[in-house]
Amino acid sequence: MYLTRFLVWLDATHFSHWMRDSIYAEPIVESIHVLTLTFFLGFAVLLDLRLLGVCMKKRRVSEVLGQFNPCLFCGFAVMIISGVLLFSGDPVDFYSTSFFKIKMILLVFAGLNVLIFNATIGRKVAEWDAALKTPKAAKVAAIVSLVLWAAIVAAGRAIAYVLPPPS
Amino acid sequence: MHPEKWLLVFCQWALNSHFGHGVRDSVWLFPAVEICHLLGLAVLGGTVLILNLRLMNLRFPNEPVAELARDVQPLMIGSLIVMLISGFFLFSSEAVKMYDNVAFHYKMVFLLLAIAFTFTIHRKVVMSAEGRVPLFWRVAVALLSLALWAGVGLAGRAIGYV
Repeated sequence: MYLTRFLVWLDATHFSHWMRDSIYAEPIVESIHVLTLTFFLGFAVLLDLRLLGVCMKKRRVSEVLGQFNPCLFCGFAVMIISGVLLFSGDPVDFYSTSFFKIKMILLVFAGLNVLIFNATIGRKVAEWDAALKTPKAAKVAAIVSLVLWAAIVAAGRAIAYVLPPPS
Repeated sequence: MHPEKWLLVFCQWALNSHFGHGVRDSVWLFPAVEICHLLGLAVLGGTVLILNLRLMNLRFPNEPVAELARDVQPLMIGSLIVMLISGFFLFSSEAVKMYDNVAFHYKMVFLLLAIAFTFTIHRKVVMSAEGRVPLFWRVAVALLSLALWAGVGLAGRAIGYV
């Protein structure tokens, strides 16, 4: 299978060996991955709570989106890059855990949720921008996002319980 | 008794408490509480970040700082409480081990400093009338706040490595 061959190839690369053998590489990349949660997930939660009308009620949704988007984008980029680096340190074992597969599937769903939001109710944001009561569709998107991201964090943490980092 | 002795007595008490036993004896309780701790981190970190970015004029430049602070305050305090409670649970399950863990010591020192700073000087600057505190001092206060909270997070991550 192509995927297995790719994982075995990645596992044998110099970079993968270096990630595994270095004392500092894994702890540093792991710390970046965990602490960037504040940047990415923290802002995502704030945005979802605005969509639910729980916090920042007086602020326009489009303003919150505009102010948060650069942070969300940068935070997500750092999460993906550090995540790929962590994965490449031990790709075959990572892929063998079910929590990793669950996390990847949930990530796809979270991405779909954003795409659907942007293509539907998000496009018409001007119509309900300042409203205290946000439309039902926006609330559904926010709840789906909160549930998915909490599950993604849980699955991610669980990977490290099944597969303790090299020490 | 020597103050250090008191700390050890406290750690032994926590270890032998119901919390300590409960978290230690269960397979899934420690991971579950740790995940709550992580989710709390995301929310607390998000609110601290947005407030400090605002102080430095980097986000929401047209909103008064105090208004944004009042907006995110309940979330910030709520997530801090979640972190303190879940953190105590995690600590109690291996309290005596933590007594000897250097990273844990650093984390507690950073935590005390971060909380003290957040609810005194930081709060005063955030709540002051718009334009009263010069930008230089707002940036200084924001950077110090970010450094203290980052210290808590980094030392916390290091607990598992030392």
